[in-house]
Amino acid sequence: MNKSLLLLLAVVPVAGQPGPSPVREKATLGTVDLGYRWTSAVPGDFATYRSVVNLQDGFRVRGLDFHSTDSSRRLYDKLTFFADSWGDPYNTARLDAERNGAWRLWIDYRNIDYYNFLPSFANPGLEQGSLVNQRSFDMRRRFWDAELRLRPGKRVSPFVGFSRDSGFGRGITPFVTSGNEYPVGTTLRDQTNNYRGGVDLEFRRWHLTLEQGATAFKDDQLVFTADRNLGNRRVPLLGQELFLAQAAQAYGARGESIYSRGVFTAAPIEAVNLYAQFQFSQPKTDIRYSDNGRGLFYLGATRFFNTLESLASGEAKQPHTSAALSAEVRLHPRIRVFESIFTDRLHNASSLLLVQQLFFATGPAETARIFTPDRLAMNYSRQQADLFVDVTPKITLRGGHRYEWGDARLRSPSLAGTANPETGELKRHVGLAGVNFRALEKLAFNLDYEGGDADASYFRTSLHDYHQLRGRATVQALASLQLLANFLLLDNENASPGVGYDLRNLAGGLSLRFSPGGGRRVSFFGDYTRSRLRSDISFRSLPFLDRADSFYRDNAHTATGIFELALPSGHKVVKPRLSLGGTLFRSSGSRPARYYQPYGRLLVPFSDHVSVYAEWRWYGFTQPFYIFEGFRTHHLLFGLKLSL
Amino acid sequence: MFDTLLRGRPWRLPLFLILAAWAPAAAAQEAAQAPYAGSDSCQPCHEEIYSSFRKNAHAFLDTEKGRGWAGRACESCHGPGAKHVESLAAADIRNPAKLAPLEADKSCLECHRHQATQVGRIRGSHARNLVACIQCHPIHGTEKVTLSPHPAARINAQCADCHADVWTSFQRPHSHRLVQGAMSCVDCHNPHGGALIRNMRVAGANEPGCLRCHGDKRGPFAFEHAPVRLEGCQSCHEPHGSVNPRMLVRHETSRLCLECHARPPGAPGALGGIPGGFHDLASPRFRNCTVCHIKIHGSQVNRDFLR
Repeated sequence: MNKSLLLLLAVVPVAGQPGPSPVREKATLGTVDLGYRWTSAVPGDFATYRSVVNLQDGFRVRGLDFHSTDSSRRLYDKLTFFADSWGDPYNTARLDAERNGAWRLWIDYRNIDYYNFLPSFANPGLEQGSLVNQRSFDMRRRFWDAELRLRPGKRVSPFVGFSRDSGFGRGITPFVTSGNEYPVGTTLRDQTNNYRGGVDLEFRRWHLTLEQGATAFKDDQLVFTADRNLGNRRVPLLGQELFLAQAAQAYGARGESIYSRGVFTAAPIEAVNLYAQFQFSQPKTDIRYSDNGRGLFYLGATRFFNTLESLASGEAKQPHTSAALSAEVRLHPRIRVFESIFTDRLHNASSLLLVQQLFFATGPAETARIFTPDRLAMNYSRQQADLFVDVTPKITLRGGHRYEWGDARLRSPSLAGTANPETGELKRHVGLAGVNFRALEKLAFNLDYEGGDADASYFRTSLHDYHQLRGRATVQALASLQLLANFLLLDNENASPGVGYDLRNLAGGLSLRFSPGGGRRVSFFGDYTRSRLRSDISFRSLPFLDRADSFYRDNAHTATGIFELALPSGHKVVKPRLSLGGTLFRSSGSRPARYYQPYGRLLVPFSDHVSVYAEWRWYGFTQPFYIFEGFRTHHLLFGLKLSL
Repeated sequence: MFDTLLRGRPWRLPLFLILAAWAPAAAAQEAAQAPYAGSDSCQPCHEEIYSSFRKNAHAFLDTEKGRGWAGRACESCHGPGAKHVESLAAADIRNPAKLAPLEADKSCLECHRHQATQVGRIRGSHARNLVACIQCHPIHGTEKVTLSPHPAARINAQCADCHADVWTSFQRPHSHRLVQGAMSCVDCHNPHGGALIRNMRVAGANEPGCLRCHGDKRGPFAFEHAPVRLEGCQSCHEPHGSVNPRMLVRHETSRLCLECHARPPGAPGALGGIPGGFHDLASPRFRNCTVCHIKIHGSQVNRDFLR
């Protein structure tokens, strides 16, 4: 081979190379965090511990992440996988994969154990020493979400997606009859599948997303007991002791929904941005329900019966339309105007036919057919205009006005003793103001104010005449010291006759982050938040409708601190790091509580790729009004971290 | 939609249209374009950033001819760099990190304005409070600090950097499992904004975002509980954390219910009629309303949510 050919071979690839390009070598990065946790015995209430913390002994994959780029582009350009807390009651995983310009896929998974058995909740027998929560759950909720997008980043990009949300487990629920209610076991199983597909059209001046989706839903709760149960009634009724000997309940709800969504953005000219959105869904549910119970039940009017059997069939439909239109206009390089309109209309219509048979100890059975239609209609609209003025390059002022209005119509609850529908109205003017001040690169603060004045609101505790002030300031005092302050004040009053609602929520916090020398040797993060909530409202106390007052107070201190220290070591690689800190929560008021979680951690890296650690954490929870619900426990965790 | 507009403040519409018509005249003129230097000119001095950027999602701009930035990915955000390459002066190159948020966002929105993720931007509280894109999205990041951070714990840490007061709420005994890393702030909130208040996400097309995980509360129910539809789950729950069981906003269930259900029959005022008079609140049986009204989120069978 002569020299000129060699030269040509050497030059051609270089000349043909289109300038710099992204890295094309195959690269794989990842970390694995494995650990084993020991928990001490839990002095106190184990059910409360499980309801609040729920971490147990055992081997755990605490974290796993994996990143791969493939230069060959046979399958993908980039692939990322995360998994977190496998073995614990709360675990997640996520996969992201992409081939640039061709497709992008993500799959998200999470599993959350939902255990809730707090003896102070839903427990009519508490004063008699019973520690049974009659609305308790030991469930698992799982959530899958996946989406595949073709031609991401291109002008026309179609996508399809699927998500599944499911729950299953068991619990305790009352079997409610007239005159008594009986806590019994229940199994719960529900599942919602969502299928969706659509297309994104992205152009230089406008964008349109069209999506069509469908949802399928089912709920199959079952209740069964064959144990004699005296229920919550403590005294005989008309000389008879009510009891439940056997009960079964089966809920079988099947639902489906088709929905459409369209989103449009445009910038017809440089100074104008437009945004429009339209959403329509029409979920509907088919209902099948049956129950039967044997025992002694009260019917009313001094009559008792022994067996009940019910069968119900019904349907509910809920067309729901939402639309939004917004625009941003830059009148001047320093002046911007926002205008937005939003409307939301929902109409729930249902009908149910219940056939109920009652069997008596003596006499013929009675059959009742009860047809119950029901309606709930809600129309809500909101219009908002904002003006933003950059007074100087560092100061932006904003002011605006929002008007919210709506109406609702629904059937009164049968217990209210009236057949007339209830109607509600919402009319609220809200003034908006704010300032954004960037004094220096190292100092910035932001203030937001909302003041509302309502002529009518839906509920007694809704926002009515209110003021809300929110502030945030950041100071980079030194290169190594950052301070952040937060402030919130919400004052809400409804002085209408018969309401007399007064709420004040005040919270302020200060955070500090100190990391001299980039935190190589020492770093500290601390945060303290103080909050005070006061709510006063009158209500009608049953059974005589006497006027009574409901006072709620919550005065809380929350602090978090983490101090990190690199321990002295003569070794180049083995540089242990010690972390000490934790969180503290302390509140007084209507339900005082103390919840402490101090922790310490020692991390010892043996190389750039291998480190071990030991972690100690303490959980302590006490409530002065519910001492039986406290717990405390130590957790000790040893782990190994490997990185590629 | 049109009558919705007029029912509010009808005078706003003509005013708004007039202002919109003026806008083009008031728009800023584009600065004269300086010459570009090309991405490889940046490498010698900014080797570390250059290398990490090669693994970043934006690196494709260097090879993507359709976007118009082939060979000039750095300058797609930093602007023409020839003058800076010549003088090496920081003043001669655009640095989005040091610009006012609106200015910094301009370069991002040049490409990302018309994308599905940005559709709620105009109404979003981040845009209103001038939080620049680069405050959350580290543009020079590698895989480990990606533009869209995962897992949940990393997202939460990022949000807590500014919203420390909200993060402290999750230290309360009853809260969603964010501290445990099973959920993240963006599961419920869309940081880019949306039509709903507090940047709340939606499930499906327009159902409350809470129903993405709490599908059993979705309905529609034969008998709806109005607050769920009218004001959402926050009517009764404090989703960021509470001292009360079930994240309720009151310590006693009866108080929570009766604060609303206190209107005498026939009396004008807010929704929520008084329940029948046979409940004796002196008895513990009746102080736990949800022991009997078990389907309080909505019932398929009973108007009073008893089954």
